[in-house]
Amino acid sequence: MLLFRSEETLTQWCEARGLPKRPVLTLTQLWYLAVTWYANRLTVESRRPTPDEMGEIFARIGLEGPFWDPKADQWHSAT
Amino acid sequence: MDFDTAVKLNIYETIARTTQAPTSADVAKALFTSPEEVEAAFKQLHQKRLLVPEPGNSSRIRMAPPFSGAPTPFRVKVQDKSYYANCVWDALGIAAALHADAIIEASDGQSGEPMLLEVHNGQPVPQACVIHFAVPAVQWWDDILYT
Repeated sequence: MLLFRSEETLTQWCEARGLPKRPVLTLTQLWYLAVTWYANRLTVESRRPTPDEMGEIFARIGLEGPFWDPKADQWHSAT
Repeated sequence: MDFDTAVKLNIYETIARTTQAPTSADVAKALFTSPEEVEAAFKQLHQKRLLVPEPGNSSRIRMAPPFSGAPTPFRVKVQDKSYYANCVWDALGIAAALHADAIIEASDGQSGEPMLLEVHNGQPVPQACVIHFAVPAVQWWDDILYT
């Protein structure tokens, strides 16, 4: 994922590469993901969330649908 | 504690303390074992998506998320140390993992204009920015270095 100063520079980035604009997160949403993924990373019990747990975590901050589904089928053949 | 977990902890503790990812020889010395045993653990940790060995050199670590084993455009300053993160998610993740305030040096993905993010008292300091995910979740680890 990439950081942009504004929607405007993101749009320029997509247009320059002929890529579709896909989901955009706020800093607050990304901080939630950072804490959920990494707050216990330096401990014995740390592990990456399972695909089911990932789906639940994303849903908690409003990230739903096939794009955020770690088990989605439709993207396997997509570019 | 199993051996893979001991290797994982040594990697993360080493990076947190020194800012540098250890080699398999460094970990082997610390754990009184062989580099070959440690590299086997690197493979296991990679399968658990906790580690990415350096492509073409299994003795080195490219990513121990949120930390990067190589310089990146995301530098994270915590107290008197500077770490490299793999992406903006991981840049925030370093502050989360270390439970510390942080200043993140980054840049706009299109213009390259420098940007600073800050984590203070367990929260990001509000700033105008957007984070764009170009790759769907199911494909993140197909090419994690790109993601």
